[in-house]
Amino acid sequence: MSKVSSAKKENNKMAAIDIPEVHKFIETIPPFSSLSLPERKQLLTGVTMLYVRQGQTLILKDEAATVHLIRRGACEIRTPKGGLVDQIADGECFGVSSVMAQNPDGLQVVAMEDSLVYRFEKTRFMETLAQSEAFGLFFEHTQHNRLRKLSRSQSNELASPALQLSTPISHIMTRQLILATPEESVQTIAMRMTEARVSSILVVEGDKLTGIVTDRDLRSRILALGGSADSLVKEVMTQDPVNLRPDALVMQAQTLMSESNIHHLPIVDEEQRAVGMLTAADLLRHQELSPLLLINQIHRQQSIEELARVCKQWPTLIMNLIVTDMKPADVGKVLATVSDNLTRRVIELALDKYGPAPMAFQFLVFGSQARRDQSLGSDQDNGLMLEREPTEKESQYFADLSECICQGLGLCGIRLCPGNIMASNPEWRRTAVGWQQAFSTWIKSSAPSALLHASIFFDIRCVYDSGDKQGDAVNNLIKAMQLEVSKNSVFLATLTRTALASKPPLGFFRHFVLESSGEHKNQLDLKHQGLALINDLARLYGLSCKTYRAGTLDRIEQAIREKLISVDTARNLMDAWDKLNGLRLEAQGRHWQATGKASAYLDPKDLSSLERKHLKTTFSIINDVQDVAQQRFLRGYS
Amino acid sequence: MALAFMQKLSAWHLSRQSLKRAWSEWDYLVLDIETSGLDPKQDHIVSFGWVCIHKGVIELDTARHIVLDSAQIGDNVGIHMITDSDVLQQGKKQESVLRYLRHLLRERVLVMHHAPMELGFLKQAWQTEALATFSANWLDTLAIERTKANRAHQPIQDGGFRLGSCRERYGLPEYQGHDALTDALATAELLLAQIAYQGRDCRLHDLNQMGGGRVRLATR
Repeated sequence: MSKVSSAKKENNKMAAIDIPEVHKFIETIPPFSSLSLPERKQLLTGVTMLYVRQGQTLILKDEAATVHLIRRGACEIRTPKGGLVDQIADGECFGVSSVMAQNPDGLQVVAMEDSLVYRFEKTRFMETLAQSEAFGLFFEHTQHNRLRKLSRSQSNELASPALQLSTPISHIMTRQLILATPEESVQTIAMRMTEARVSSILVVEGDKLTGIVTDRDLRSRILALGGSADSLVKEVMTQDPVNLRPDALVMQAQTLMSESNIHHLPIVDEEQRAVGMLTAADLLRHQELSPLLLINQIHRQQSIEELARVCKQWPTLIMNLIVTDMKPADVGKVLATVSDNLTRRVIELALDKYGPAPMAFQFLVFGSQARRDQSLGSDQDNGLMLEREPTEKESQYFADLSECICQGLGLCGIRLCPGNIMASNPEWRRTAVGWQQAFSTWIKSSAPSALLHASIFFDIRCVYDSGDKQGDAVNNLIKAMQLEVSKNSVFLATLTRTALASKPPLGFFRHFVLESSGEHKNQLDLKHQGLALINDLARLYGLSCKTYRAGTLDRIEQAIREKLISVDTARNLMDAWDKLNGLRLEAQGRHWQATGKASAYLDPKDLSSLERKHLKTTFSIINDVQDVAQQRFLRGYS
Repeated sequence: MALAFMQKLSAWHLSRQSLKRAWSEWDYLVLDIETSGLDPKQDHIVSFGWVCIHKGVIELDTARHIVLDSAQIGDNVGIHMITDSDVLQQGKKQESVLRYLRHLLRERVLVMHHAPMELGFLKQAWQTEALATFSANWLDTLAIERTKANRAHQPIQDGGFRLGSCRERYGLPEYQGHDALTDALATAELLLAQIAYQGRDCRLHDLNQMGGGRVRLATR
């Protein structure tokens, strides 16, 4: 009897879907693992399998409007406009909302890798949902999660050009007008324009707009014709220029300007009184805050307070760069360019305030600004290099100047350095010889603890040279330093020890998996637990090169060139740096949107399992390169 | 006589024409056979595994794993993991399995990995069971892979055309079991991957040119 029943059982199994490889996979994947065998068989009835080529888009309608499970591969879930909602991989599902809510958002699935996908039959799936509570809850949660991510991705889309075009001009025009009368000489108005840093001036009679003079007019109607500086405005101005009312829309302004081929559009009220000015740059800036325009604005500001106001756009700029999917290394370079320009403008304004310096000096930056990998909320690390030893009075001048610069940068959003590595600290205002001695001391001292705090100085760059020598003094210092370092294997060994002092948090993931549901919200510090380790390794390799480079990727590339590191190892490390930097920027972006504060902490809840997998690989790469570095630099010393 | 010839000709013409339709408009039966050895003359079929492809997707509940009642397990138990008790409990008659297969193949293209072997055994079985003559279109995923490699001038090493190695090149998962059913599914997935690489507008005709043909199974 027992024989019969067991044979019957076998026969039953034969009837339903019975592919061992399919069951073996499904059994291990939550929430399918919570199903009983009969439930699982019911769900598997009618299941099909498809192969989706990389880059192919699945539109979840008709028979595809059902839940899919990725057997192997990776996919992105996107809105119809292309906004990224989620990235998923092996063992994760998509199409949940198309089953549970008819996919109101019209989500699409794009294969990031070739993917082998199970497609469940819709009615079977619904039956299983209704029968198993745990199963249903899981998918509700998945759907809820996606919705959260969806709303986040849509808020990024809000700044769409369509919406911006319908903004009234009055919102974006410049109201501080630079005016002239028809009887003034072109020289006087040219001086006024230069002073105000504008490229056009409005000509008024009484309070009515009668003309406009632009940079181009001065060039083509005076200079090119050999005209005199005493010529009168009324001889060169464009009379009764094209204009618009303040309530016109941005789109109208744009059309008018491109039709009339002009870059300056005066805005007037009903009585023909000038009330504003709209430039092509204003329009561009409004459409998308671009780094170039921010730099442009930075150079036009006349006080630190104004600069600070302009720099409020800094986070928005970073968000824009992140949203446009710019490569992390390029984001770093763009931000460095902006902050270099900001630094120079602050220095210029400080020089305006305290008068010209009594001697030539160079403004040095260290750390992330020197490496060109700044991000949101980076703090300042800087110093001064003086032409010679200052007198007491000169010393006071540089103290005031530096204080003004550092506080100014602080106001503009580059935080004061908590370790006081700033030009405002007399310790970091030195002559070339003074700096050389400082570096010599660090290089000769073989105590890792001394180096731990000094290593930031080895990332060094000159951003401002008052003497028009383009930082030659600093470059000489760097050359001397590099030469001394690359030949000093004891120093390199010490540097290696400090670079290897921290290990990537590979255990984090186990930890995370174990405790994610409990009270312990584990967070990952991408900067200190990841990027800093790569920066340390790159500095180590960079300093053992013959040629100095400040940037992390540049250093690794230089090390390849000088054959200090294998191409494979180097490429892996560069990929890891890119990956971590990308994650950091994203995490910062999210955090900024949510709280208005920058944070490089990553909440594991925000990671898909694909990202988790990548991150794990990334950390093990760092670990591997640390081993390679130990072999290279510590042999015979440890 | 002439009429029969004309009918045959028009059937042939029709099949030539229809080869030009998109691959996904065809139905496929992906087959794997476990045998007691490598020689169709001496050895015999132990089990069949198959799965069907319809509208471009693998329909997993068409999957079948059928052990023959004539199967002599002997020393080969270690290879295909079929035991004497499986044969006793689940064994089916070869003749009825082949009839069923013939029924399924009337409207499907037969797909195999390394066709000469499977076709050799099928031909032999057809004679043994004295079944009515029957023709089918077939595709060989191994031959397709070889053609692809030749066209790309990419020499592939010994063993590189084994099912597992082919799948690896497309990033398909590694399957543990190697029974006829798992291998049939593995072959079906490989076919989908190969097609995906050929592009969306791939036709059966193209696949046929890379590695396919028509087989006549006859009693003789």
